[in-house]
Amino acid sequence: MTEYFGTTVADIFATMPKRFKPEEAKEVDIAIGYEATGEGGGKWKATIKHGTLKVETVEGELTGCKTTIHTDAETFVGVTLGKISALDALSSQKLRVAGDPKFLMLLLPKIFTPYAAPAKKPDAVTARDIIATLAERFRPEKAEGVAMTIGYDLAGEGGGKWTIVIRDGKCAVREGLADPLTVKMTMEAKTYAGMMVGTIEAVTAFTSGQVKIEGDMAAAAATAKYFRKYVVPGATEAEELISLRVTNSIEQRFATGPVMGRWFAGIREKKFLANRCPKCGRTQIPPREICAWCRVRVHEFVEVGPKGVVTHFDIVYFASPDPLTGAVRDTPYATVYVVLDGATEREAITVDLKKEDIPRLKEGARVRPVWAAVTTGSYRDLIGVELDEEEGSL
Amino acid sequence: MKMHAKNRNVAIIGIGQTSLSSHKEDQNQAEMVHEAVRNALADAGLKIGDIDCIVHGNMELFEMQFAPDLWHSLGTGAYGKDEYRITTGGTTGATLVCAADNLVASGLYNTVLAIGMEKLQEGNTTGGITNMADPLWFRNLQTGALTGTTAQEMIDEFGEERAKRAAMRYRIMMDKHAMLNQRAHRRFGLEYSQMEDLMANSPPLVGELRLIHMCSQSDGACAMIFTSEEKVKQGTKNPPVWIRDHIQVHREETIPNLFGFNKPEVTHHLAARKLFARNGIQDPVAYFDVFEMYDPSAWWAVDWLREFFLLKGDEHLRMLEAGDFDLDGRIPINPSGGVIASNPIGATAMLRLAEAALQIRGDAGGHQIKKEVRHALASGFGGTFWSVLMILEKELNWQEVNHD
Amino acid sequence: MATKRVAICAVAQHKNDSDLWHKRFQGMLLDVLEELQAQTGFTFDEETGVNTIVSCSDDFFDARTISNNGVTDVLGAQYRGEEKMAQEGLNAVGYAQAVILSGYADMVLVMGHCKESQSESRRMIANMGFDPFYGRAVGLDNLNAAALQARAYMKKAGLTEEHLAGIVVRARQFAARNPYANAREIVEAGKVVASPQLCDPIRQLHAYPVSDGAVGMLLASEERAAEFTDKPVWIAGFANCMDSYFLGDRDLTANFALKQAAGRAYRKAGIADPRKEIDLVEVMDAYAYQQPLWLEGLGLCGDGEGARFLDQGGQEKYSVNLSGGMLAGNPVIIAGLYRAAEAALQLKGEAGERQVPDLHRAVAHSTTGAAGQFHSVLILER
Repeated sequence: MTEYFGTTVADIFATMPKRFKPEEAKEVDIAIGYEATGEGGGKWKATIKHGTLKVETVEGELTGCKTTIHTDAETFVGVTLGKISALDALSSQKLRVAGDPKFLMLLLPKIFTPYAAPAKKPDAVTARDIIATLAERFRPEKAEGVAMTIGYDLAGEGGGKWTIVIRDGKCAVREGLADPLTVKMTMEAKTYAGMMVGTIEAVTAFTSGQVKIEGDMAAAAATAKYFRKYVVPGATEAEELISLRVTNSIEQRFATGPVMGRWFAGIREKKFLANRCPKCGRTQIPPREICAWCRVRVHEFVEVGPKGVVTHFDIVYFASPDPLTGAVRDTPYATVYVVLDGATEREAITVDLKKEDIPRLKEGARVRPVWAAVTTGSYRDLIGVELDEEEGSL
Repeated sequence: MKMHAKNRNVAIIGIGQTSLSSHKEDQNQAEMVHEAVRNALADAGLKIGDIDCIVHGNMELFEMQFAPDLWHSLGTGAYGKDEYRITTGGTTGATLVCAADNLVASGLYNTVLAIGMEKLQEGNTTGGITNMADPLWFRNLQTGALTGTTAQEMIDEFGEERAKRAAMRYRIMMDKHAMLNQRAHRRFGLEYSQMEDLMANSPPLVGELRLIHMCSQSDGACAMIFTSEEKVKQGTKNPPVWIRDHIQVHREETIPNLFGFNKPEVTHHLAARKLFARNGIQDPVAYFDVFEMYDPSAWWAVDWLREFFLLKGDEHLRMLEAGDFDLDGRIPINPSGGVIASNPIGATAMLRLAEAALQIRGDAGGHQIKKEVRHALASGFGGTFWSVLMILEKELNWQEVNHD
Repeated sequence: MATKRVAICAVAQHKNDSDLWHKRFQGMLLDVLEELQAQTGFTFDEETGVNTIVSCSDDFFDARTISNNGVTDVLGAQYRGEEKMAQEGLNAVGYAQAVILSGYADMVLVMGHCKESQSESRRMIANMGFDPFYGRAVGLDNLNAAALQARAYMKKAGLTEEHLAGIVVRARQFAARNPYANAREIVEAGKVVASPQLCDPIRQLHAYPVSDGAVGMLLASEERAAEFTDKPVWIAGFANCMDSYFLGDRDLTANFALKQAAGRAYRKAGIADPRKEIDLVEVMDAYAYQQPLWLEGLGLCGDGEGARFLDQGGQEKYSVNLSGGMLAGNPVIIAGLYRAAEAALQLKGEAGERQVPDLHRAVAHSTTGAAGQFHSVLILER
């Protein structure tokens, strides 16, 4: 039986006798016909007469009903659960009533206790159930100006292929995968369901390769905020937990002092001024007040570089966002460790490598600095290094 | 090397953890701390009135809370008590245990409760770690604690296939351990059959350091209760676990000078070498029954096993490949699933100690090692390659072997 | 068995300054380290030297996630043990004592630093100490919390504007004799009373000036102290205590935490009657009204008797804040460490123009948090 919003049309009729309030129906004498089209639909007839109720399924024509309700199965369930506004359904002609609709809307809540979807264990909820609730969970106020097409390819039981279109503050869910998509997410239907009901962590699923994302990763990460959280039918809706978002920032003015200050003065002149330990001779880059190993004050400055040799390198595919601005630099980028000419063998400097040089980067490569057009005495003066190929690699 | 004579012996008598997760919106910081404190008191069978002193630690800039122990006192129970707040970056949790050990051993306090916490979801973790770099020079280049250099070094030393398999085998082993630990944050259900797929397809972060290799960011807290030998003799609810010795090794701020043409002795190696020597431990692999290691990534973990156990060449890889580090192996590593599975930074290193102590007690639950655990090793890691190493013992019987 | 007593062998202070814009805190600490080594000749030898360092600094003030990471080298902590006291620095002395009593180390180097001038506003940092939901939003910081306490205490103790001005005038008179103090200019009472209100009733000259500083100490076991000094100052007792977090949960003039801390420290030091057994006191008076309030908490006068204590010359009787106190300017993170440094110098007889004779026992005090949520008390003896 096809489920909508976590339940079936049949269950609504099956529970009718239990929900019937005879004392409220003593004066009522009516037969109501129901026709629900589409998967999981059918025809039912409810006869209410002086405090009694009879519910029967009907094959063929619905006859002898004072009032009949015609709708599709999904709308029927949605309206019954209050997930879809009955007025909206009536207005859009998704739900039609032959007879007096107002009378029905007044009568039914009086003689029946409200229907509640059967409580489900989280693991009984299928991806299909959850996808079916997407449109109603949509938060247009969060998706202003957003235009994207998200594809879900969910394999296995309760799965399928869907396209979610968010545009002009509206959200539409369609079967099948559109082309092109802003982002496509492929996973097991049960993984998707688990993430939505909170038994599987999204980051975990992604990290472990259970979720494959093609296209715009950032878009995939953003989708969650366009929808209210999915709540398992029958589960008591969790109290909304408010969290505060604040950016804290306190301006700083850092002293460079006579030691780091000397380094920056050198940088401004496009020179690397290390300071040399009087005891062990190491060239500290950037210079420090003391040699940590020898515990002696370091006075002597020596110019090293400007060229050097790459000892190690990192190709960075994941750039950490700037803590304050959230800005993320382009990836991949390369951070290289360079022992500058004249520096002692352990004292590498870390710098960025020019992007175009990444494919030819090797340990042992010779590099030369790339300076900013205008140098002011800050780390920004040294843009990075580039391969020094005129000299050839080691 | 001279062994110091401890003024009096100190035992761990209570352990409390919160669940570890990336979602703790149902608790504020003080409430989360309180959960761990309550659990530790219950574990020890004590009331907050039995505690003389609180030791607290976390990183201020992760939650952007200045002097957080003042607010957290609502959860730590510090009201009316002596309290210290000690922090050392990633090693904080282990340093707190060292501090609690010192405070009880000093005779100034009988029973001390230490608490490490972090609510990483309340701040920007990678940004927070990046902020440890010198604001004038290195901060613009750093990407949190991410680096692929160790992967590259291992690939250079052992060949690409073997090195990558070793890191992934370690990673899957950690997940298998985490699957047995109900409290662990990330539990994937990885199988060794997925090794090739993960090696090829897990999204790369830096070089061969891939997303799957890296530790998590978690919310959580850990609390531990320590008391003196005299108090232990009056009876404890659970078996005491004795702190035998600890060592901390810090180093200078500059990191690039670990990546020149040669390296100084790795801090972990120095810590292990000194600690084992002054405790008369010749063969750490044979001596210890479990090692809870602070493993921020699978690559570092494999590399560091060589340093901590003072191994040579590819001994650590051969042991890993032979299953020696598995839960039922010769020297199980991180039955808890380690830092890769759960990482509330200010509590992370303390969790290593807590888990090691639970193994000695036999109370680790699903991830309890089958054979008896008598001698445990635990480590903390933080700062610019700082190391803390501690020895826990089931019995109070080591004194005769190591004093001069 | 480990040692029974711990000595402060040497202290070194960096001069406090309102804006050491030309100097990194690394450079400040190195000055302090070199002075300590010059005084004592201690080394970092693995067998016989310092292997354990207790530092003190703050991540917010340094704007670094692990503030001690920026100074490991100038602490001498390369390949050594180091622990950062992430509280006011007096607690570092208390903890260092425990490290030595435990037997773990026989000497410990204590090093604290803070540059308040580096941040746009120390009040913004203090605001971050309040809970993010309510306290921060209403703009609480240490100054306006102190103002609440000041008003309540002035009423309770009968403390007047004149009393406050007198405290400041006296502080400056002593600061002028302290080469390490920040605000050393003599001020007249009239100028104090006329200085602008920062947060009523706290005026500008009632508050300590923005300060940068660094302090170092060498502590050693009784067995080893003689190697480094012939005038050891002994730690007789240390304790601290936490009060309730929310201001509304506290009686701001009751000194709950300070009385607890002092009581425990006195017990450890074997002090039965502090009024008879204490010769010198250094209290952490960030604001003028705090000096008599904390002296009440230390038991040197009765509850609400602070004004009378001042009138009757209690400050001179107990040699209160001969350094000039925090009112003369120390960074908040190590203001108590400066108190201990001054108390130790006095007991050693090395306090220069401030020196008072015949001292036997001194108290150094510090506090952390809004309106004194947390207090620490250190008892030193000759």
